[in-house]
This record gives sequence, C-alpha cells and structure tokens, in this order.
Amino acid sequence: MDLFHNILLGFQVALSLQNLLFCFVGVTLGTLIGVLPGIGPVTGVAILIPITFGLNATTAIITMAGVYYGAMYGGSTTSILINVPGESSSVMTCVDGSQMARKGRAGPALGMAALASFIAGTFATLALTFIAPPLATVALSFGPPEYFALTFMGLTLVTRLSGESMLKGIMSGVFGLIVACVGVDAISGEERFTFGNIYLLDGVGFIGTAVGLFAVAEVLLNLEAPMEQVFLQTKFSLRGLFPNLEDWKVSLVPIGRSSVLGFIIGVLPGAGATIASFMTYALEKKLSRHPERFGTGAIEAVAAPESANNAAAGGAMVPLLTLGIPGSGTTAVLLGALLIHGLRPGPLLFQSNPDFVWGVIASMYIGNVMLLILNLPLVGLWASMLRVPYRILMPLIVTLSAVGVFATDNNVFDMWVMFFFGIVGYLMRKLDFPAAPAVLGLVLGPLVERSLRQSLTISHGDLSIFFTRPISGLLTLAALLSLLAPLVRAAWEAHKRAAAAART
Amino acid sequence: MEGGRRMPPSNTFGPGAGFLPFWLGALLAFLSLILIVQATRRAAEAAPRPLTPSRVALIAVLSTAAGLAGYILLLEPLGFLLATALFGAFLLGVVERERWTVTLSVSVVNAFVLYVVFQRLLGVNLPQNVLGF
Repeated sequence: MDLFHNILLGFQVALSLQNLLFCFVGVTLGTLIGVLPGIGPVTGVAILIPITFGLNATTAIITMAGVYYGAMYGGSTTSILINVPGESSSVMTCVDGSQMARKGRAGPALGMAALASFIAGTFATLALTFIAPPLATVALSFGPPEYFALTFMGLTLVTRLSGESMLKGIMSGVFGLIVACVGVDAISGEERFTFGNIYLLDGVGFIGTAVGLFAVAEVLLNLEAPMEQVFLQTKFSLRGLFPNLEDWKVSLVPIGRSSVLGFIIGVLPGAGATIASFMTYALEKKLSRHPERFGTGAIEAVAAPESANNAAAGGAMVPLLTLGIPGSGTTAVLLGALLIHGLRPGPLLFQSNPDFVWGVIASMYIGNVMLLILNLPLVGLWASMLRVPYRILMPLIVTLSAVGVFATDNNVFDMWVMFFFGIVGYLMRKLDFPAAPAVLGLVLGPLVERSLRQSLTISHGDLSIFFTRPISGLLTLAALLSLLAPLVRAAWEAHKRAAAAART
Repeated sequence: MEGGRRMPPSNTFGPGAGFLPFWLGALLAFLSLILIVQATRRAAEAAPRPLTPSRVALIAVLSTAAGLAGYILLLEPLGFLLATALFGAFLLGVVERERWTVTLSVSVVNAFVLYVVFQRLLGVNLPQNVLGF
C-alpha cells in the first residue's frame, strides 16, 4: 500500500498545472532535439540546466528528464526518413527504417517506432516504480567503502563501453576527476589548483564545463562537415501511420524482449541507450526465424532498437535516483543538475524528498503519453523541422548556450570555462577521446574522493577495506575485472596465436 | 594521439588534500605513456586519418572559436543585445556566408528573443552598456 500511496503522491505533484506544462515543454524540446541531427540529448539537457535554474527542483528535473526520453522518440523520425540518425541511439533504426521508407512504408515504420517507444517507455517507468524503492532501502546500508566501490565501478564501466579505445576512455575519466579536484578541498579546506583565481575556489563550474564539452564542441565539429539541406516529399496521414496486423505479429515479441533487455542495460552503470539498441538489434537478428530480412526493411528491426533505447532511458533513472550514480553522459549531466538544485541523489532522497522522486517518476508516465500524441499525428510537423538548415540553427545554439551559462551565476568567468572546455571537447573528439567519462568523472569526483578518503581513514590506510566488506568487495572485484578483462583476453589470444604458430 | 602529451599537474600539497590529485596525475601520466607507446608502434603499421579535413573547415572552426572569445570579451562593454546581435551576425554572415537579409533578421530576432526569455521571463540581469540597453 505504501507504493500505491507514493505513486498517488507522485501524480498529485506531476499533475499540477506548472509541472504538466513543463513536462510538455520538456518532451516537445526532446522530440525536437531528437529529430535534429547535430544536437543530442546531452547537449539539450546541458543547455536546459541554466534555463530551468529559476524553477523549483521538481519542475526542472521533470523538464530535463522529458528531454532525455523525448529525444529517444524523435531520433527515429530522422533515421527513418533521411537515413541519418538523429541521435547515436537511433543508429540501428536507420538500417531497416530507411529501407522501409524506400519501399514506401515510411508511415508504418514511423508509427511502429512511436508505438514501440511508448510501450517500452511505459514498461521502463513501471519497472522503475517497483525496483527503485527496494534498491534504495538496500543502498541505505552503504558506507563509504561501498560508495567508493560503486562509483569506481560506474567509472570503469563507462570507460569500458564508451568509444573504441578503452585507454582513451580511462584517460578521459581521469581527466574529469582531476578537474573535479579544483577548488577548496571539502575535508581539509585547502585550496587546490586555483592559481589564486577567486572564481575557481568553488570548483570549475559544472554548467560551463558540460555545455562546453557537449554543445560548443558539437557545434565546432559540425562546422567541419556542413550538413546538406534535406527535401522531403513524403506526405503523412494518420491512418497510414498504423502498422498492420502482420507487422504487429512479427514485432510484438521483439518489443517485449527488447524492453526488458534495454531496461536492464540501462540500469547497469556505463551502458546507455545506444549500446542497448545495438545489442537488441543483434539479439533479434540472431533469434529471428528470417534473419535474412534484417537490413532489407524488417519492421521488427525498427521496433526492437526503438523499444530498447526508450527502455534504457527509463532504466538509467534507477541508479541515478537510488544511488546517485549516473550510467551515461546524459544522466551524468542530470546528476549535475540535481546537485545544483541542492538535491543529493541517493537512497536518502526517497525519504527526504518523496514528492520530488515520485513526482518525476509519475511525470514519466504522463510524458510518454504526451510523446505518443506528439509523435503520431504530428510526425509531419517534426519532419518539416528538418528543413531548417543547420547553418541557421548553429548561431542559435551557440548564443543560447552562451547566455545560459552566463545566466546561472551572472558572471563572465563561467563563459570562459565554457569556451575552454568547448575547445578541449572539440580536440578530444578529433582525437577519439569520448567526452562522457570526463563529465562523469567531474560529477562523481567529489563523491569518489570523499568516500575514498573516509574509507581509508576508517581502515587506517589499509586498502583491504574495499575487499573485506561483502558488497564493496563484490563491486570492486567487478570493476577490476572489467578493467583487466581486455588485457587478459589479449594475453590469451597472443598465447593461442603463439601456440598455433608453434604447431605449424 | 597527440593528446597523450598532457603534463601531469604539479603536486605540492600535504598528504590529505593532495592524495587523490597526486595519484590521478600519476595515473594520467602513466596512461599517456602507454598511449604514446601504442601510437608509435601503430604508426608504423597504418597512417592515421588526417586530423584537419580541409582548409575551409579549419577556418570555419577557428573563426567561430575566435568569435565566441570576442563575444565573451565584448559582452559587458557592449551590453547583451548589441553584443549578441553582432555575434549572431558574425556567425551567420562571415562564417556561414548566409545572405545579408537572412543574417540581419535572424541575428536581431534571436538576440531579442533571448533577451525577452532571460531578462523578462527568467529575471536574469543581463549585462547592459552605458546607454542602458
């Protein structure tokens, strides 16, 4: 009954006029960001932090979460219509979606994408509702060693899974952690790396860093390869959007499977919507009775990744809300936003701010319904958004980012932070360093450092404290395994090759 | 690849506050070393893809960055409206080579919309110039 009571409370919060309005604004912006290639959900959320700064925390996070899962809907539209993924998480949708469009079946593809997204998004929200509270209760017993182990694992998993080179992922994460060290040390009160600059006493501004690393860097990168303007002739009628019975028959099981798998992948720290969509596509192809249809416009190949990325977006909210550990770049930025609003995500959040937690969760049910309505009848409108050339969009993104960063603290120094990290982020991308681990490191840095030093104080400097306690031992082991796995594999392969060479 | 040459930060702190930064710095230096070794070994096998795609692209990127720096510098002396309109016009007209009618209208409207949203709706005190706008 307790759960029922909480959900009721959540809907009470989410159904207030202001929250409804901002949920709508969030999912609308999210869809727009999803549709437009060249601006992703991380950028969208980062730019929104300063804009929603003046709102109360619940409304602000409702808006930003709306952008996050809304982008998962919008991304499919671009993928299907012009074979350009609107987001990295809809890359797999391109494969069969654009083939369907080429065969004149763009309507059902778009409809199936929206409906599959809706089913998976609602499933993920339901799962979040039931899984988050018990997990938060377990997490209440966590001490500093457990927190350190948890953040450590989160960081290693993110670096493992983002980008091609694991080494570069780790370096990016360590870079973020180092940036997080700037400012007054929380335990001893010592100044670190401030170089006598009073603006750095409080640490490097998170908003400036995030907007720089994502928005500015993305704009600079897009300038290199100007996007062609797109012309669309497709006309949409509402009826033409609904998949037929045959489509449903082949898609229903994949949708179910992908929702579950996507949710689980989303919950795991480190793997987000993009990886979820790749994995489910591969899985469905393997399980399908007609794998040869994949890649030629199979509707289940559109339904599976689309449900997976939405389920993963919902799943990613679980560790964020219960443990305060983000699993991906976007949730890392969301965590930063929560901290700015003075909320400390983690198990205590469920007790201290139930109206916030349940309000956000309830808004996700509402947001998914809004998105379905926005994306089915209005898909033609979103498609026409693609006619706005990036040339016009670019200055709007840059000025909006700059003003937003200025507005948070009313000072120009944050804009320089944005400028600096824009250049850094641009160079990182050019050199194939993923940006997400850096942001994760920056957000988690204080927590990592505090829990590490507290643990070592408890154990008088003995590192074994991370292994002797059951939960932290397990997590540390998992983290170390994920770090060492590629080395072991490489050694094993080298060994095998050597053995094979010896035999011949 | 060249990113590996980041210097480890100096560590002149006591054991408490300097503990994590020191080890992070050491770790980063160590990883950079691996990366450099990897890069030099791999360079023999295959030529890396070019870093700068074209001169035109490079000019666009550099001028946008320079424009942003200029904008940040001029924001307070010129005031928000003027500086933002100028910056928008610079990006559209100079970097993107848009027609001047588009340039002018988009940059002015953009600056004005941002002004209304932030100053009026969100209550942010945007910088003003000596003339008071």
